[in-house]
Amino acid sequence: MTKRSWLGAFLDRNGLALGLYILFAVSFWLLFLIILPQLAMIDFSLRHDLPAAQQGGPLDVWTFENYRHFIFGLPGNPDGWNRLDVGVFGRTIVAAAFVTILNFAICYPVAYYLAQVAQGRQARVMAVALVVPYWVNEILRAFAFRIIFGATGVINSTLQALGIIDLPIDFIRADIALYAGLGYAYVLLMVFPLYNAIESLDRNQIEAARDLGAPWWRIHTRIVLPFAKPGITSGCTMVFMLAAGALAAPQILGGPSNLWFTQLIYGQFFESVNWPRGAAYAIILLVACTLLVLLVMRLFKVRLGEIGK
Amino acid sequence: MTGRPSLRWSQWVIGAYLLLFFAYLFGPLLIMAVTAFNSSSFPRVSPWECLTFEWFVRLVEDQRLMQGLSNSLIIAFGVVVLSVAIGLAGALFLTQIAARSRAGTYTVFISPILMPGVVLGIATVLFWDRVAGSIGMAYGGLFYDGIFLTVLGQSCFIASYCLLVFLARLQRFDSQLIDAALDLGATNTQAFRRILLPFLKPAIGGAAVIAFLASFENYNTTVFTISFYNTFTVEVAQKVRLGIDPTISALAVIVIAISLVAALANEAAQSHQQRRLAGHGRGLVAFFTHNPAAVLAALAVGMIVVVLAFAVQHDPAACKARALEQRLERQQQYQPATPSPVAPAPSTPVAPGARDLNPGQGSFGDVFRGGLAPGSAPAPAPAPAPAPDTRSLNPGQGMFGDVFRGGLAPGTTPAPDSPEGDGEE
Repeated sequence: MTKRSWLGAFLDRNGLALGLYILFAVSFWLLFLIILPQLAMIDFSLRHDLPAAQQGGPLDVWTFENYRHFIFGLPGNPDGWNRLDVGVFGRTIVAAAFVTILNFAICYPVAYYLAQVAQGRQARVMAVALVVPYWVNEILRAFAFRIIFGATGVINSTLQALGIIDLPIDFIRADIALYAGLGYAYVLLMVFPLYNAIESLDRNQIEAARDLGAPWWRIHTRIVLPFAKPGITSGCTMVFMLAAGALAAPQILGGPSNLWFTQLIYGQFFESVNWPRGAAYAIILLVACTLLVLLVMRLFKVRLGEIGK
Repeated sequence: MTGRPSLRWSQWVIGAYLLLFFAYLFGPLLIMAVTAFNSSSFPRVSPWECLTFEWFVRLVEDQRLMQGLSNSLIIAFGVVVLSVAIGLAGALFLTQIAARSRAGTYTVFISPILMPGVVLGIATVLFWDRVAGSIGMAYGGLFYDGIFLTVLGQSCFIASYCLLVFLARLQRFDSQLIDAALDLGATNTQAFRRILLPFLKPAIGGAAVIAFLASFENYNTTVFTISFYNTFTVEVAQKVRLGIDPTISALAVIVIAISLVAALANEAAQSHQQRRLAGHGRGLVAFFTHNPAAVLAALAVGMIVVVLAFAVQHDPAACKARALEQRLERQQQYQPATPSPVAPAPSTPVAPGARDLNPGQGSFGDVFRGGLAPGSAPAPAPAPAPAPDTRSLNPGQGMFGDVFRGGLAPGTTPAPDSPEGDGEE
């Protein structure tokens, strides 16, 4: 089938008005909202940070300077590499992975219970109870953790009142508040893919394994977890990407000495006002996260198309 | 048989775990909500000072927040229209293309969900900046406009959410209905309008709600695209970063109340519909019988009305004066070495600073700080305004920051008749 006849058949099938609407909306989305902006960002990241007057002039040539800066820092840097930026980047990735694993561990029992054990009204009430906190703004949720983990927050004052500690623990500096807040922020995104996957598991398989004498943990490792693999990958991917790309929670809950990589990007745009470098850092974040996710998917043998289902 | 008792035991463990899990989910919101009613100007549960509703008043009086709210609604409207239209088109497109290219196209369509929000925001700004530059648009034109950019930046990924909603609904669509209509002589447009569109109506509603919520609460993308405007969420984030005070808690109370009532009402309506399908009666009485969610929703609304009525005539001034007195008394008791008498407090801003260096003095610390704060109320300066700028450079300054803020910010708050509330911004 040639392209032209496909287009003709498409318009025939839908009628001219509807067919044009579909084609126009989809191509607007793909071109103007997804692809061209990404290309513009790549283009920006390959340019020097020039004042407006010199843009388009002879100095406005492509360069890898911004990427070089991410790895090696300023010229004459005694370390030989950009300890600060690469360090922040590495910490962000590791912390996001940690949050993802933590989140999976927290949510798996709940998703399993919701999918296989809870029934009728109980399941419905649980589902509503899971969703309602997500109608509350991300910022407000982070704020709640700030109140709880502050130096005079609920946890510190309770521990002090009980005489367990004398001095307040600085949860914010230790990043405990940040991990708790990030984990909290994405509970729903982890529970529902897991739930969708586990729910379609035939209960008889679990019963059979139990009848054959399998202990509960083996039922999970041999039956439920392998079956739920697409859901697990889907949930973990979303949580990891969102945690690595989170901005509000680290801004509100992050310790003073511990930046998140998105905060560096934010700083390039709003504090140093170096758009090309900010664009380069944004691309580094996007590419690194995507590669990592693809790698993990390859390891667990799950295809990208199964995400989000 | 060892199976039975171990099952019982595991049920206990699971029950306890679920309890803990939902405590983790709701505890923070609950604590935050409670702090909105404490007159202490640092949001906290203990020590409890006085029951007050002043934070709600100050919230509504916040001009920038209200301006942000109206911007948010404009943006959300644009995003709903654009993303529902795109999502629907994308879903229809996906169901019609050849199976072998479907998986790849699907991946492209949902990829914006997985991209970090900051990346989408940056890409949108840079692209339209390029476009504006290449067509010679002057700065200030449409392509530099924060609201225009925000609508586009948000729609990029919110359209994917809508797409998922439509795809889920379309999976249950019987495409033979369309064929039948066409056989009977309907045009394509008629078949779409009379059959497919009515079938998709619930999905359109659902997608619109999701798009609205996602747009309203978006921060990561918006903060880059909004330029000099403000949305509600960006403004709230700004406030939280600059210094936390209970007006944010008051805002949370309102959001939580709306969510709760909406969730209960939704649950009630669904359960009512199920019962009606099962042949039970209609009418108001039937709506409430055997429908705990409906009863709870009505109770919640009733409680909100009662609280509002109580709030209108509640005057915490006397209680606050008493609390202040008590605190000053205790302060004198524990800090006899203070050179000047503390009672007419305005002249003692030194004390909170000194305390900051030593935040670990336990529960007394709270007493002292609280005691000083209201004392500075008469000071005419709208204190919070200048200070935040320096702090914003270092949003995560940790506990000292909190303590300091807690001590200073109150200066403007306690006196109910103080005009600073408006003058701040």
